[in-house]
This record gives sequence, structure tokens and C-alpha cells, in this order.
Amino acid sequence: MVVGSICFLIWSDPANILNVMIGASGEAFSLCIELCAVYAVWMGILELVEASGLGQKLAKLLHPVIKKLFKINDVETEKMLALNMSANMLGLGNAATPMGINAMKRLDDGSGVATPAIIMLIVLNATSIQLLPSTVIGLRASAGSTSPSDIILPTIIATACTCALGICLVKLFGKIWKPKSNSNSISQNKNIKSIKKIDKACKFHYSNKNFKLKKISFKNKKEKNK
Amino acid sequence: MSAYILPIIFIALFCYSKYKKVNTYDTFVKGAKKSIPLVVDIFPYIATIMIAVALLRASGITAMLATALSPIFNALGIPTELIELVLLRPFTGSGSFALLNDVLVQYGPDSYISRCACVILGCSETIFYVTTVYLSQTKVKKLLYAIPVALICATFGAVLACLLCKIM
Repeated sequence: MVVGSICFLIWSDPANILNVMIGASGEAFSLCIELCAVYAVWMGILELVEASGLGQKLAKLLHPVIKKLFKINDVETEKMLALNMSANMLGLGNAATPMGINAMKRLDDGSGVATPAIIMLIVLNATSIQLLPSTVIGLRASAGSTSPSDIILPTIIATACTCALGICLVKLFGKIWKPKSNSNSISQNKNIKSIKKIDKACKFHYSNKNFKLKKISFKNKKEKNK
Repeated sequence: MSAYILPIIFIALFCYSKYKKVNTYDTFVKGAKKSIPLVVDIFPYIATIMIAVALLRASGITAMLATALSPIFNALGIPTELIELVLLRPFTGSGSFALLNDVLVQYGPDSYISRCACVILGCSETIFYVTTVYLSQTKVKKLLYAIPVALICATFGAVLACLLCKIM
């Protein structure tokens, strides 16, 4: 898509390409400086929350939800996820980011493929429930609306619905993708049926491997005979 | 009312950490210090995605896509005026807020279209930006179904937003 747009620009406005790119990266730079300021405040607060033991309490409070959604058993990660989710709910997207990045680091298993928990975290953040769309309300007020806050109710309904849909879809796709996904997270599932399924898949996998090995040894023998 | 929530939370937090005998000043400094390496780490990712988005917008491809896709979106109940907003929302936060401002000024803040636009922005997130930033510290390269699911949800949210604004 990017290449396509560059080609299109060459045709329509060739002198402007570099300007656009540098302008955008300048914008990114100023955004980063802004973010640095925001993060400094929030990560200071975060450190306080952790040091005072509030993080642990929040994690305990959200433990049932997190357990259902992410299927993880790590206290530290759970704490990060709890903070990320509560910041998102308050409409503090920028405050949620450092905690989300930390949680991601802990969820990453180094295989290069997203685990179900990582996907769940991405989708949750992409459809995050927002109780107070403060920026939008501010824009409406400055444009001279008679009742700038009358969009709160529809927004909450819509965002709750999308969030629920996101969770359902992730769970659904997770079931479809199971044979390919990491068996670590699945093994915690107490559902006997799914364990049987995995058993079958594993057996299939191993028999396949054995078959391939046999093939290779067969080939080797052939070559030796020659 | 909402303006008081954060300060109250902060004060409660400071008092609580004092009560727990945490060294407030040092802890805060320690946390704030971590923000600079974090920003340095995520800057290249933010820059790359913003350059890509700027190229897309400058080339006019999004506007063309908007007209090309208008029959589909109209069938889903999304007005033609808001299609570009829906398309751009997953990529850029500042860009979509600029678009929202244009809509508010052009159609008046209390019109149906403006209210739709507000709800659409309120219930969605900058999916690609969030994904790149969140994954910038990990080795994850294959995302499987994460992006499609997020995009489906965003589209569903937009449709729902238009519907809700009609009713309410």
C-alpha cells in the first residue's frame, strides 16, 4: 500500500514526496516528546502504585476477569494487565500504554508468533471500553454544541458492544486456530475434550514426523547403495 | 465532575503510599526515569507508521477508497460523509481528530452526522498504532487473527454508532 501511494504521488505530485515524509516523521518526533512527558508522569504514578502494594490489590480485584480472558498464572503480569485495563476504562489511553508494553514483554514467549493472550490484549486495547470520551466532548464543546455530553450514553453502549464482540471473536478464532497455537496455554484448560483433541493432534504430528524421518533414512540408504 | 476524578485518585494514592511508608519522591523519580528509554525505543515504530499514513493521505488513495467503498458503507448505514473518518481512524489518532473537527464545523456540532462522528471516534481506537507500539518491545512478528478481529470490531462499532444516533 505504501509503495502504491508513492507511485501514485510520483505521478501526481513528485516534488512533495520527501516533504510529506519528513513532515510526518517530524510530527512523530513531537508526538514522542509529548508522550515522553505523559509517560514520565504516569510511570512515576505506576511505580508508586506498585511500591505501595495497590497494584497487587487491583490485580486481585480483577483476577477472575483476567483469568478468564488471558489464562495466565503469573502475578506480575496480572498486575500489569489489571493496571492497563483500569487505565483504559478511565479513558487514559496514554497512561495504559507503558503498562500494556510491560505486559506484552511478559506475555511474549520469544517464538515470534502471537499467543492467544497477546492477541486478546491487542484486541482489548483496540476496542477498549471508554467510560469518558473526554477529547471528543471537548471538541464538541469548543465547536459550540448545546449539549456536548449527550454522546456519552451511545458511546458507552457502542464501545461495550464492540468490546464484547472482540472478546467473543478472539475466543472463537482461538478455538479454530488451536492446533497451530502454542500448547502451553492450552494445557491449562481443564476441558477434557480439548485435551483429547490436542492428544490426537500431537499424535498426528509425531506420526508425521516419524514418517518424514523414515523417508529421510530411506533416501540415505538409497544413496549409500549407489 | 469528571475533572475531579483524577486529582482525587492522585491525592488518595499519595496519602496511601505515605501511609504504607513508601519513599514517595524517590519512587516517583525512579518510575519517571524509565519513560525516556521507553520513548526512545518506540520512536522508530511511531515514525514509520506515521510516515506511511501521511503518504497514504497525501496520495489521495484514502479519498478514492472512500468513494469506491461508499455503496458498501451506505448499505451498512454509515453516511458517505463519514467514510473517510472510518477508514482513517485505525491508523491515526491526531488525523482522525482533525477530520472530526472539520465535520463538526461543516455540519454543525448537533447534527446527526456530527453526533455519529463523535460516537464513532469515542468507541474506537487507533488499532495499527496501538499494535505497533505494544509489540515494539517483543519479538512477535506473526499476529494471526488479531488485526482482522480488531478491524471487524471497529466496523461493527461504526455501524452501531450510526444506528444508536438515529434512535437516541
